[in-house]
Amino acid sequence: MNYFDANTWTGRWPFAFNEEHSPRSLAAHLRQHGIGRALVSPLDAVFAPGPGPANLKLLRTTEGFAGLVPVPVINPALANWREELTARAADPRVRAVRILPRYHNYRLNLPALREFADELVRRKLRLIVQVRLIDERHEFHAMNLKPVPPAELRTFLTFRPKLPVLASGLLRSEILTLASKHADLLADLSFAEWHDTIPHLLAEVPARQLVFASHTPFLVTAAARAKISTAQVAAAKLRRIASGNLERWLH
Amino acid sequence: MRAIDIHTHPILRDDHRGRGGADQLIQRAQAHGIRHLVALGDVLAYGRSPTEAQLRKINDDTYWLMQRHPGVITGFCHLNPTLGERAVRREIERCVARGFRGLKLEIANNARDACMRPLMTAAQQHGLVLLQHAWSMTKIRQRSFHTDPEDVATLANRFPNVRIIMAHLTGCGVRGVLAVKSCPNVVVDTSGAAPEAGLVEYAVAQLGSERVLYGSDAPIRDFAVALARITGARLDAQTQQKILHDNARALLRLP
Repeated sequence: MNYFDANTWTGRWPFAFNEEHSPRSLAAHLRQHGIGRALVSPLDAVFAPGPGPANLKLLRTTEGFAGLVPVPVINPALANWREELTARAADPRVRAVRILPRYHNYRLNLPALREFADELVRRKLRLIVQVRLIDERHEFHAMNLKPVPPAELRTFLTFRPKLPVLASGLLRSEILTLASKHADLLADLSFAEWHDTIPHLLAEVPARQLVFASHTPFLVTAAARAKISTAQVAAAKLRRIASGNLERWLH
Repeated sequence: MRAIDIHTHPILRDDHRGRGGADQLIQRAQAHGIRHLVALGDVLAYGRSPTEAQLRKINDDTYWLMQRHPGVITGFCHLNPTLGERAVRREIERCVARGFRGLKLEIANNARDACMRPLMTAAQQHGLVLLQHAWSMTKIRQRSFHTDPEDVATLANRFPNVRIIMAHLTGCGVRGVLAVKSCPNVVVDTSGAAPEAGLVEYAVAQLGSERVLYGSDAPIRDFAVALARITGARLDAQTQQKILHDNARALLRLP
C-alpha cells in the first residue's frame, strides 16, 4: 500500500527528546516506514517572530526530494501575510499552506482570516489548520496553549465553504463531531485513537474524509502506520485513507 | 512477538459493548500477539469515588472475565481508599479469595494521602502489585485527588516492599520518569495519550529495561498503536521483548 503522510515536520521541537529532521533524514526515516510521500512543514516557523526564513529554508532544502511536498506556514495575524503567501506560492510545489492559530496567538474569527481564505481560494491553494501540535496536557510548563476548539473550527468552515480545509491533530471525538457536519472537511488521523480506530471512525465518517498522518517527529511513526495497516476494513477504503484522499485533495 | 498487556479495561461503559465487547477486545488482543491481559476494571463507571457496592460490581465484572478466559486474564481489584480501612480490607479479602493478583487505584484520592496505608499494608501482606493511575499535574491542576509522579515516588518510599506500576508513561513524561528513578519498587507502563516519540527510549535509558512494561489502556487506545510504541522505538529486540512480555511475566509470576 502507498502511504502519503499529511503531517510531518523538519527541524527541532525544543520541549521533547524528538528527532531533529532535515529533509534528507526525514525522507529516509519515512521510507524506512514505507511512507513514500509526505506533506512537510518547518518547526522553526512555530516560535519565530515570522515564518518567512523557515519557509524559505524549507523550500530550498526540500528541492530534490520528490517525496516531500513542502507546506509553508503562514501567519495571517502578521501584516505581511500576503507578501509571504505570494512569495511561497510562486514555488509550483506548494499546493497547500498550514496555519497554527494558537501558537501564533489568534482565533479563527480573526478579521484578516477572511481575506486570507479568499486569497487561498483565488490561488487554488488548500488550507491545513493545525488544531494541536501536542497533547495540551503535556505542553511545556511555561506555556499556556489550548487547541483550536471544534466549535471555532465549525464556524470557520461554515463561513468559508469554498476553501478546501484539512484539520490536523483532531482527537477521535473531535473528528466525529466535525466531519459528519462538514462533508468537505478532511481530518488527519494523527491523534485519533480507539481500540478499533479506523472501523470506529468509519461507522460515522465517510472514508473520503480521513487521511493518514504520522505527525513525525512528535509521534511514533510506526504507530501511525500500524493504525492503518492492522485495520479490518475493505482494502479500497484503506487505500483511500492511506494516500488517495490526500492526493485527490491536493489536485 | 509475544506480549502481555499490563493495562486494559476490557469492560468499559464508554465503549457501550458490555461483556460481549470484552470478548471481542480479547480476541483482538490475541490477534496482535498479546497472550495475557491485566484487567483493571471499569474504573470510572461510577465517577471518581465509587461506593463499596459499585466497586463490587466493577470487580465482579473483572472476576467474570477471569473465569471466562482462564489463563488469559489477570484481575486487579479496583478500590476506593477513601471508603476507609474496613471497606478496603473487605474488598481486598474478597478479591484475593477469587484469585486477583493486584490492586488498581484511579482518582479517588492522591497516592500520598494517609488513607493509602491500609491497602498498602494489605498489598504487602498478600503480595499484591499496585497499579497506580498517575499523570503529570503540571497542566491538569487536580492534585488533590489526581496522582502526580512525585506522589507515586512518595508512596513508593513509604512502602518499599510493595511493587508499584506507575501508569501512563506518556502522561508522566520525562519528569515522571526522573521522579521514580530512585524507587526500585516502581515500574512504569507505556500507556497514556498519543504515542509521543522518544519517551520509551528515555524511560529505558533512565530506569533500565527491566522497569518498563507494555500497557495499552485499551479500549481507549488501539493495540496496534500501543504495541508500535515499543516495536517502533529505537531499542534492540531483546529490550523490546522484555518490555512487551518478560518483565510483566516476572512481575505477575506467570508461567
